Amino acid sequence: MPRGSPSPVRPAAPGRAGGAGAGTPLAGPAPVGGSRRDRDGRRSERLAPYVLVAPAVLIIVVLRLWPLVLGVNFSFTGDGERNGAPVGLDNYTALLDDPLFRTALRNVGLLVLMLPIAVAIPGLLATFIYLRVPGHRLFRSVYFFPAVLSPVIVGAIFNLLMAYDGPLNAVLAHAGIGPVDWLGDPHVAVFAVVGVHVWATFGMALVVFLAGFATLDAALLDAARVDGASLPQTIRHVVVPGLTRTIQFVFITTMIGMLTSMFGLLYVMTGGGPEGSTYLPEYYIWVQQGQMNRPALASAASTALFVIMLVVGLLQISVLRRVGRDD
Amino acid sequence: MSRTRLGRWLIAAPMAVLALATIYPLLFTANVAMKTRREYILDRFSLAPTMHWENIGTAWNSVGMARYFLNSLIVVTGAVTLLLLFGSMAGFALSRLRFRGSSALFMICLAALFIPFQVIMVPLARTMADTGLIDTYPGLILAYVAQYLPFTVFLMTSYYRAVPAEIVDAARIDGNTVYGVYRRIMLPMGAPALLSVGILNALFCWNDVLISLLMMPSADHRTLMVGVTSLRGQYSDDIPTFAAGVLIAAVPVLVTYLFLQRQIADGVTAGATKG
Repeated sequence: MPRGSPSPVRPAAPGRAGGAGAGTPLAGPAPVGGSRRDRDGRRSERLAPYVLVAPAVLIIVVLRLWPLVLGVNFSFTGDGERNGAPVGLDNYTALLDDPLFRTALRNVGLLVLMLPIAVAIPGLLATFIYLRVPGHRLFRSVYFFPAVLSPVIVGAIFNLLMAYDGPLNAVLAHAGIGPVDWLGDPHVAVFAVVGVHVWATFGMALVVFLAGFATLDAALLDAARVDGASLPQTIRHVVVPGLTRTIQFVFITTMIGMLTSMFGLLYVMTGGGPEGSTYLPEYYIWVQQGQMNRPALASAASTALFVIMLVVGLLQISVLRRVGRDD
Repeated sequence: MSRTRLGRWLIAAPMAVLALATIYPLLFTANVAMKTRREYILDRFSLAPTMHWENIGTAWNSVGMARYFLNSLIVVTGAVTLLLLFGSMAGFALSRLRFRGSSALFMICLAALFIPFQVIMVPLARTMADTGLIDTYPGLILAYVAQYLPFTVFLMTSYYRAVPAEIVDAARIDGNTVYGVYRRIMLPMGAPALLSVGILNALFCWNDVLISLLMMPSADHRTLMVGVTSLRGQYSDDIPTFAAGVLIAAVPVLVTYLFLQRQIADGVTAGATKG
């Protein structure tokens, strides 16, 4: 990837008269004399890069970066009758006192613990596909498919499958396993939802892994085969060290996915219940903002989520870097 | 040799089971959508004896699915068009033009990549309400553009970096303005990337529920995915119609996937391998 752009276009290159070339009258008023037209053209050329980036930068600054500042600011003000008044850290203490938010945080911890599994499964499957097990092309297409479905559709389908009197329990009953209240038991529901999320998204990570494999030195794999390395040995000594960057990327994107793209599933499958056991910060934010009309509290939760993501992301990078160095 | 071949089949067997588990839920739903209520209650798993296509019609007509479908179409088309336009303009300038502040502007776009929607949704909803954009098509389109623009700019910039500078220089010597280079050279050359990013953005917008729920509160402005969430309450005792509604919402994505799987995967992996 060429980083520093070599010899780019120089807007308004001096000496090249008539930057606004023949047939493309770009500069403002109708050209009267040649020199006036040149000057207008050159000016328009000099401004052109800014004109080109302006819409994107404006939208990003106004609708992404500025709201972040507003939101953090907002989290230190009050809701309801204390609307707008500075309240210091009150919202943050209210958050920590709220059992729903504490559950949300505990569930984040659970997600972090499950992260290695959510990364290892697609990693292992990608390895097999890369090694061309029979049917690898088909597997690739099929595994990736749920990743393009909306969480809403996935959630709706699994609502059907996981209903108490639904097909999943009917199958399990044949195997002699008693009915499980997948979405109604507070101890089970969160695992059910996370499981569905992993089912729906592992194809995404799989495709990223496969792209990483494409950059792997095939000669190394051949050498490992010639030396008679077993599959686990090959994975341990060739695949993992060669894919450090990809693994790092998958870890971080999977984590971000778990923290920011489960709303649809929660909304459709559990609505945060039973007994608030499936709350995640993003769901909490939505409920406080949309249902409870407590935007300042929601902002505090947003800020907390942002900090969590930064901390988890940085931790992962440092841990993975250390692991990479050991090899 | 035969040992390793046997080993490969031993690995392929559980992978095939997993593949089946991946595809089965959708097949199950499609099958259910073709049954009558009675058939579903009597036997959930058996193949539908006759295809009851009328379930699709019932779902389509009764809960305003047609309206939701149209809403989604409008919003996705608008958002993707603007994303590709603004993304390619900025990508061209940031990769192939030299100007003061270009790296700072690129960093701004990159930084926004790490701000999830959930973190800014409260102030954003307020801004949209203040400007009267809430519950309007332009408002939701703008929210989607803001959400997916950093990613689009990032991908287009790294794609355009691979375009040889000589091509751009040659076009300039031929008397093209910067805008002319963008229109005549960069847009056509960017077509593969634009296709990939466009499809991916279309999927993101089509599949979204949170942004749409927040920005389009009123019932007749619902997008299709929000519409699907309301199906559940409506047809809790008529599973086949419910399944038919889910199927309607899934079909556009299914068709896209069948024809453009490569481009989708390219878009997903570009972020991992570039930059």
